[in-house]
Amino acid sequence: MMRAATVAATLVAVGAQAANPAQDYVLNCMGCHGAAAQGIPGKVPPLANALSRFMRTPEGRNYVLRVPGAANSSLSDEQLAGVLNWLAVTFDSSATANQLAPFTGREVAALRRQPLLSVLATRGTVVHNLATTGPSPPSQY
Amino acid sequence: MKTLDRLFENGARSLAKRTSRRSLLACLGQVLTGAALMPLLPIDRTARAQEPVHPTPAEQKCDYWKYCAIDGFLCACCGGSSTACPPGTQPSPITWIGTCHNPADGRDYIVSYNDCCGKVSCGDCFCDRNERETPMYRLSRNNDVNWCMANADSNYHCSVSVILGVAEK
Repeated sequence: MMRAATVAATLVAVGAQAANPAQDYVLNCMGCHGAAAQGIPGKVPPLANALSRFMRTPEGRNYVLRVPGAANSSLSDEQLAGVLNWLAVTFDSSATANQLAPFTGREVAALRRQPLLSVLATRGTVVHNLATTGPSPPSQY
Repeated sequence: MKTLDRLFENGARSLAKRTSRRSLLACLGQVLTGAALMPLLPIDRTARAQEPVHPTPAEQKCDYWKYCAIDGFLCACCGGSSTACPPGTQPSPITWIGTCHNPADGRDYIVSYNDCCGKVSCGDCFCDRNERETPMYRLSRNNDVNWCMANADSNYHCSVSVILGVAEK
């Protein structure tokens, strides 16, 4: 269908700075999570309006850094921290992500190498706990 | 026979009393008007709404620069173009994204390789270049995956390549 042409219209603004989290996202994450970090219902979890909510608690941050897409990514610890911080600020309609503590390379390095054996079960627990203290991401996607 | 004649005569006269030539014309007019309005009913005709796509000869060749990491049938040979899926197929929401070097301007471009899904394999212009592909242990960097996996109809038909932007080094 000609709607495929709309894919072509999804141009990505890529900055020219050395650290380039937008480009890192496009090359390493966007293929599955989508141009607006919206995910795919039933297949790929959304990052928009979800990642920043996980970042509110140590348990949520732990989960985010250990999910397979983050832990197994070819990005370095610093690059992964940069992409996550960029995503949280760029795709959060509540505009509260600026108040969250950003990820650091050291924090990423300490957590991403610990395997997360049951992703969905852990997500359910983390989301349940987040919901008791404020806005939470969806438990299902 | 007289009885039959009388029966049919009475029937014809009775019909003539109850109807007129005008009523016949009115009825015929309704039928013709209804038939003329049939194409306006809300029936899905999106498959026919497709405008013809005219790919360039370069788009139909595997050595076209932006096909550097493609693996599949070129949609430009299958009724689409290098950026548009053929009629009756849908682009995959999950894609392989890589970079290709354009020798014409010396720049690297970020390219999204979307599969077009919903029909059986096209079978024309198979192109298997896969530059910088990694083995299956890193799925997001492997191009043997059926990217139609997230579509309602996961049949693979062909692949397009869409430029997303210029890659900064």
